[in-house]
Amino acid sequence: MGGLAEPFEFEFFVRGLIAAGLVGVLCAAVGIYVVLRSLAYIGHGLAHSIFGGAVVSFVSGISFYVGATIWGVFSVLLINGAARRRQIGGDAAIGIVTTSAFAVGVALISRQGRFTQDFDAALFGEILGITSGDLYVIVGVLALVALILFFWWKPFLFTTFDPDVAGSYGVPVIWVEVLFSLILAATVIASLQVLGVTLIAAALVIPPVTARLLTDSFTRMFFLAVIVGGLSGFGGVYISWFIDVSSGATVVLLQATIFAFALTYASVRARWPGGGWGGEGRLAAIENAPID
Amino acid sequence: MSSPTTEDAPTALSHGPPPQPATGECLVAMRGLSVGYERAVALRGIDLEICRGEFVGVVGPSGSGKTTLLRTITGQVRRFGGELETMARPAEDTLRLGYVPQVDTVDWNFPITVEQAVLLGRWREMGWRPWPRRRDRELVAHLLERLGIGKLAKRQIRALSGGQQQRTFLARALIGDPDLLLLDEPTSGVDIKTRHEIMHLLGELNRAGTTILLTTHDLNAVATHLPRLVCMGMGEIVADGSPEEVLTPEVLRRTYGAEMLVMRRGRAIYVVEHLGEPADADAPELAWDEPAAASEAEVGSPQLGG
Repeated sequence: MGGLAEPFEFEFFVRGLIAAGLVGVLCAAVGIYVVLRSLAYIGHGLAHSIFGGAVVSFVSGISFYVGATIWGVFSVLLINGAARRRQIGGDAAIGIVTTSAFAVGVALISRQGRFTQDFDAALFGEILGITSGDLYVIVGVLALVALILFFWWKPFLFTTFDPDVAGSYGVPVIWVEVLFSLILAATVIASLQVLGVTLIAAALVIPPVTARLLTDSFTRMFFLAVIVGGLSGFGGVYISWFIDVSSGATVVLLQATIFAFALTYASVRARWPGGGWGGEGRLAAIENAPID
Repeated sequence: MSSPTTEDAPTALSHGPPPQPATGECLVAMRGLSVGYERAVALRGIDLEICRGEFVGVVGPSGSGKTTLLRTITGQVRRFGGELETMARPAEDTLRLGYVPQVDTVDWNFPITVEQAVLLGRWREMGWRPWPRRRDRELVAHLLERLGIGKLAKRQIRALSGGQQQRTFLARALIGDPDLLLLDEPTSGVDIKTRHEIMHLLGELNRAGTTILLTTHDLNAVATHLPRLVCMGMGEIVADGSPEEVLTPEVLRRTYGAEMLVMRRGRAIYVVEHLGEPADADAPELAWDEPAAASEAEVGSPQLGG
């Protein structure tokens, strides 16, 4: 038993464990809106874009968080602006803006001629290098996101479900969009050190999709996704200690495993005689004929 | 658990005031209005008034501007010229609208139950809490019961028939107690029985005092049964009046850019697409009892809400 408790003897590990659990919750909560808006690509793109900002801030000698925030907000506004033009689709706008911003980072690194430990952490995550300052940022962003989603629960839900109609019911759709973009950028920035550019998209997408397989209620989906995200963040880092694998990768692999179990469960339940609506899963919703 | 009071229930479904045909009190007035999207003008020189108690249908081909007309009232288009006046309630700064979108614009896979979808229509009254109060739940239950889908509150929206889906979004529109109900193609893609049910329900709502503006492609089963029709073609209003007044070959030609035959018997009207050679401009309107006309049984349809 002593072996299982061994990692908790190290302060840096406990800090990393807490950070991973909180980032799992944060990414899952914001990821629900990402998934339901069919914007899974934006998480991936935004993480790459913010990497460019991280490099620029390193070269300019300013704080990572200041540089990445400015870069992230600028990227989101550019994406929104480009996506509003009818000639450019949202996915194309994300592709253009985020890859260009990432390319700026790569170009600056090649000019520098060296690849520092900081960039390595930004790309692949370095959970055990989490400082108290990083943890405060994660807690701060999580608190901010929780407050916004709590008080704006209904406008966010209405705008995500039916953006066209929400406006006619007096929902301030543009403000919801701006706020959503900002909390997404803040989430990616806060998660960068834990998961790295390459794995953030998975943490945004997998827990909500797993939850969607298990329920047809938005509220239950939200809480299920947050639980899956938090537990897999916590569990993934804990397991990584024993199997000596990158913690970010272990978190995502654990999420993928939970997703596989949920998919199997939903498929079996949908096909089980009389299982139809008891399962309440998306598969069941699709496969059950309308009832008059 | 107590039932909602009469004051709580949306007036549209209450048993209160008797039907009030157009009172002359205009909820929406457009004068020479031109609107569109970005730099493109979609509607030009629109003059239209919708008065309290009216039931108005908008017909026209795809792209004629029917949906844009509804979006003009909801304030989701860019105004290029003209005037738009809406009558706000006392103590409120906007006209209360209930909007039912086209079914094909809805994401049916979205994880939302009937009750959750309907509650969205009451998001302002619910305050800052994410969860509904008991009174909100009772109102939803009351409304769903009145619309005949009371047992489906916990069901995901995809697992409903076409008529039940329309009733769900109608409930979302009504729960906000709207002054004006806007419906975009409410009978599109539904079977005949469901179409009759929806139109019957709308007729009841109108008789209970709800002002309704809907768009439709269905001239014979929907438009001919409405008290007032607005024909739109190429972003302009071609005609506005009762079906008897506006459903003429000339108006239909200007609206749809195609020849159509109009058959009449008493107050019943039936429009037939003319598939042959362009008809003689003076002769496409047929009497119902002409040898070539369809039999009464084939085209019989109950009067709206009757």
